[in-house]
Amino acid sequence: MAQIQPRQNYLGAGGWVWAGKYKLERYLYALHRITGLGILLYLILHLLMTTAFRIQGQEVWEATMAFLHGPWFKLGEYLVVVAFAYHMVNGFRLILQELGFVMGRPIPPVYPYSDALRRKRPWAIAVVVVAVILSLVFLYDFVIGGW
Amino acid sequence: MRKTHLWFLQLISGALIAVLLGIHMGLMHLDDILIILGIDAVEPTSWDSMISRAMQVTWVALYIALLIVALYHALYGLRGVIIELTSSAAAKRAVTWIIIAFGLTAFIAGTYVPIALLSS
Amino acid sequence: MTENMSKQIKFRVQRYDPEQGSEPHLQEFTVPAERGMTVLEGLIYIKENIDSSLTFRTSCRMAICGSCGILINNYPHLACHTQIEELGADTLTIKPLPNMSIIKDLVVDLTPLFDFHKAIEPYIIRRDKEEMENPSAEFAQKHEALQAFLQFTYCVKCGICVSACPTSASDRLFLGPQALAQCYRYCADTRDEGEQERTRLIDADHGIWNCHLAGACSESCPKGLDPALAIQLLKRRLVSGAIGLGKKQEPSAVVLPPAETKEKLPFPEFTVKQAK
Repeated sequence: MAQIQPRQNYLGAGGWVWAGKYKLERYLYALHRITGLGILLYLILHLLMTTAFRIQGQEVWEATMAFLHGPWFKLGEYLVVVAFAYHMVNGFRLILQELGFVMGRPIPPVYPYSDALRRKRPWAIAVVVVAVILSLVFLYDFVIGGW
Repeated sequence: MRKTHLWFLQLISGALIAVLLGIHMGLMHLDDILIILGIDAVEPTSWDSMISRAMQVTWVALYIALLIVALYHALYGLRGVIIELTSSAAAKRAVTWIIIAFGLTAFIAGTYVPIALLSS
Repeated sequence: MTENMSKQIKFRVQRYDPEQGSEPHLQEFTVPAERGMTVLEGLIYIKENIDSSLTFRTSCRMAICGSCGILINNYPHLACHTQIEELGADTLTIKPLPNMSIIKDLVVDLTPLFDFHKAIEPYIIRRDKEEMENPSAEFAQKHEALQAFLQFTYCVKCGICVSACPTSASDRLFLGPQALAQCYRYCADTRDEGEQERTRLIDADHGIWNCHLAGACSESCPKGLDPALAIQLLKRRLVSGAIGLGKKQEPSAVVLPPAETKEKLPFPEFTVKQAK
């Protein structure tokens, strides 16, 4: 009898975002990835603006800046700022936890089991709270600063 | 360089970006809050303001430093994301070299312009 | 659910038979469930009474062999370790573990899991090869040294952590939280001297640096192993080694049993009066 090939059952890149009813920290990871890629996209455009359009002199620069001060661009910029705020704060948490500083010690597994990340859940909550506060600070600036 | 060193640099560059980009964004975006704090902030994207910063060595150095750490951090992260979707060794090598080439190009373009403006 | 009342629970089980060439599809069964009944018992009830072609793995039925990992209502559990009542639902959707190839129905291919586990050399490695192969005596290990890695020795190789891991979802070559946690278990073991070798294996593409601390592995581990903690502690070891910090771990010495035994204690007095 021919060998039957097992059927592929990988979730693929969709599995980064959703794989089941998991808790907060898995979604912090997904958001860290999404914000990182978003900021990278903005970085490329920003580098283009500040090199190619800056070297051409005053008229080109001021025309570009006037164009980029439109409301949709301001909204996009605000989203990038929010993404940066979250990515930075979560990044600080990851630096501490991935180097083992804020993870705690191995404990004997006694039912009901708990794990280090859940015991350190306050840090994850703090990340979300600080990111929201920073977003509100920049919202004030972007809204009052004139669209 | 072992992968461990490259990853550790990712952490260090992340921390440096937090500082340098914090300064950059504070200047660029928090102009209203700067006014409240009593600092007289001119419109930072105006030509005069931009040129005056482009003539000062400290600002140029800060921007070049920010460029280096931001490019490293972003491209290391991008490479990690793409490698997790790639299986063939040839494709992985191609991805790595394309990313290095892109990084060098962006670095050269990004340092040429500030230095050209500084010395003009 | 009171003691004697039984409820009719719907089991929607994913069926897939490669020999019939069909696509995976859900089939519904109704199982009379009582208090204390596990999902595995429900599956066995279906196999014995309704459809004997239902295929799943089971062995010990007490959460120690790691055979019965399945996805119940979108979360991976050990079927024998999950009571129907604790799920709090009248309909259970049962699918095989994701991120592993399906052989038939609920049976997945665990070969990649075992291959990655073997790849990180999950055994004590000593520089003295003669001692390693033909031990003359035991290795000394203090109790505190054992506590530092004991939690990670309880792995039953069920593969639930690999199903939960987002990196394993897209990266077939990723070692996986199981292999990386076991790598830490051996590197942290004071009896082991193989950390250099294992470092070379995990400090590569698709190795430890593709773990991004999503923590889903620890959340779903049915034995409370906390592989995420093991992996972050391993990262700490690697970084300390790479930048030159950190204490060098003294490997355990070989300890012969003592030549003289302690003085024997006297036999205790009988507590119950003996009949003469």
